[in-house]
Amino acid sequence: MSLSQPVTSAPQAELDAVPSKAPVRRAPFRSRAAAAGFLAPAVVLVVGLLMVPFAFTVYRSFFDDNGFTRTFTGFDNYTALLTDETFGQSLLNTLMWVVGTLVLPVGIGLAIAVGTWKLRLGALARFAIVLPYAISGAATAVVWTFMLSTDGGLDAMLRSVGLDGLVQQWLLQWPLNTVMMIIATTWQATGACVILFLVGLQSIPPNTLEAAQIDGASGWRLFWNVTFPQLRPMTIVVVGISIVGSLKVFDQVLLLTNGGPGTASETLALTMYRETFTLSRYGSGAAVAVFLTIVVVVASYAYLRRQLRPEPK
Amino acid sequence: MSHQPGEVTRRTLLAFGGAGLLSAALASCARGTDTMPAAPGIVTLNSDNPTWGPGYDAASDVLEQRMGYRISSRSVASVANYQQIIRMTAQTDSSTDLIKWANGYRLRDIARADILTDLNDVWDHAIAKGWVDEGLRDSFAYEGKAYGVPLYKSYYAVFYSKQAFADNGIEVPTTFDGVLDAASRLRDAGITPFLSPGANTWESQIWFMQLVAAIDPDYYQAVTTNGASYQDEPAVQAMEMWASMYADGLFSAPDVTSNELPGLVGDGAFGMMLYGTWFANSLLAAGLTGDDIGFFRIPPIGSVDPAMVVEAGSLSVPVKAHRHDAAVEVTANWLSEDVQTAWVGFLGDTSPNPQALPASDLVTDLAGEIARVRPRELIRYGEASPTPLVEGNLQDLGSFMVNPSAANADATLRSMQQRAEAEWKIWDAA
Repeated sequence: MSLSQPVTSAPQAELDAVPSKAPVRRAPFRSRAAAAGFLAPAVVLVVGLLMVPFAFTVYRSFFDDNGFTRTFTGFDNYTALLTDETFGQSLLNTLMWVVGTLVLPVGIGLAIAVGTWKLRLGALARFAIVLPYAISGAATAVVWTFMLSTDGGLDAMLRSVGLDGLVQQWLLQWPLNTVMMIIATTWQATGACVILFLVGLQSIPPNTLEAAQIDGASGWRLFWNVTFPQLRPMTIVVVGISIVGSLKVFDQVLLLTNGGPGTASETLALTMYRETFTLSRYGSGAAVAVFLTIVVVVASYAYLRRQLRPEPK
Repeated sequence: MSHQPGEVTRRTLLAFGGAGLLSAALASCARGTDTMPAAPGIVTLNSDNPTWGPGYDAASDVLEQRMGYRISSRSVASVANYQQIIRMTAQTDSSTDLIKWANGYRLRDIARADILTDLNDVWDHAIAKGWVDEGLRDSFAYEGKAYGVPLYKSYYAVFYSKQAFADNGIEVPTTFDGVLDAASRLRDAGITPFLSPGANTWESQIWFMQLVAAIDPDYYQAVTTNGASYQDEPAVQAMEMWASMYADGLFSAPDVTSNELPGLVGDGAFGMMLYGTWFANSLLAAGLTGDDIGFFRIPPIGSVDPAMVVEAGSLSVPVKAHRHDAAVEVTANWLSEDVQTAWVGFLGDTSPNPQALPASDLVTDLAGEIARVRPRELIRYGEASPTPLVEGNLQDLGSFMVNPSAANADATLRSMQQRAEAEWKIWDAA
């Protein structure tokens, strides 16, 4: 969506400049054919690998499908889903992930980027935060399984400092398990937010900050009234990525709790996986996939539309 | 813009890249190795267990002498992926000649789609030869036809530390009270009596099925086949007993894994674990022997006949197998004593053929005892009912293990019964 913005705006400006009565000159066939030729590979890939499978998933969601036989059942998969209480739990967990990843990795990433970018040893501090970002999600989950399992690393640490009262079954009790998984993800994902915010900070013209400082602004006021507003384009990107990422969170949950105990920590992506791959109910799985797609698209569209609206001139 | 000769331009790069993609796409449309028969003298087998290759090789050495064919095995390590691949490929000509599958309702589920070969003749032959217990046949059959032969056969038995038992003066128990007594003594000695994983895994079925089977084998049979309610007395009693064992501190935390066992043995911290005897293969690989680990079966509770839970994978032949006749021939030879001796020699596990014993002495005593006592054999819970019912109930049981209170026992059984009512309707309607 963000890519298409500059592409469409340039011809728009040209068209505006052309007097409205002038005949529209069409490009010669040869150059249009050449353009189509260049577009074709991208169009074929997007249609073949994205649109067709999606259309098939929508189609499949209206059937009772066990991989061998398929019977049309209309909206049954959707109504069954919406009346299933584990689906409600899954929605609630997904919402917790969205809020949690907005508050933690994005908030902490912003704080670290702003707090350290002018410090002398800031690079060292940032390096420590960014390092876990280089580790794959699955490896992160393995490390945190060791930390959070009963009598694992965290419990042993708490006992060694005499905090026996805080020892918990971190991954076995809801909502604690979802909170701990969000914290584990924060450990890994904050680095990416820091990098993006640093790029944003470097694009702020230094004279605006100097002018504000001459006018006597410092600390929180300088950040809130001068720095943060100028970080807006980058904040939009980071928050957008974070929302989409948290809506489709899968690997950490699969590896840390497998959605359990029971279905207590399941998210929408895990519900989709369980219906499809564990239960071989391809129709129900497809219905969850369609629901998840709608949620992601609506959330992203609403957010970006609101944030990327052109400033009134 | 001018270019130096020999300089790579954007167009050249795009042209080469495009040509590369095109040829890759064309190559993938060509007929792959799976759409053609394997080399002469080879039947292919697909499985979800990548470590069993040497076992198939050992069995192949015997099969080759018997019938002139070897098994070439390939595997998909992820169980979920494997199941999807089989469901898809068994309907096409990309199937391997043999597949590993589970028995019970998991086998019936795909047998209903007419993708597997009827192996009734193979069973008749094997039973006539005395290679397999006829009682096992039913768990491979759907509507009177058997769709697989037992690839392996494991029992659920207690693995115990011989060292821990000797140190604490514990004899191998022969009554259920004896089991509880042994566990209490281990606990008092500072050893976690039972390693019991299952909070988020398939292992949540183990203690539930074992306690129900020990209390009332007939009821176990009935409740798993929609002939009784999960809220009937034997299941209630099993859950109460399980909860009280938790209350007495006889179990580990439910988020342990069975892979911790060898390390615990090394630390002198292992007591017992109720598990499938196929796990002996991992213990042998970790360097443990019959001097470290022994086995005993859970004795019945009260005056019922002894019963053991059995897990048996299926060796099945897709209808569309390229070397269909040779594959059926492999299943017909698979249960013979010499093939099985080579096979369990690798596995270190019990065999579907009671005459075949593994080379390692880990399970030999247990196999001898089973041959002597001939306990009633019950199909493992995970395959005893339709898959969606079992999977849902496993999650309920995992939740119970996390919070094993008496109140939660009632709620767990109620939820399991509700699911049973819904899922049996779906199974019967399909």
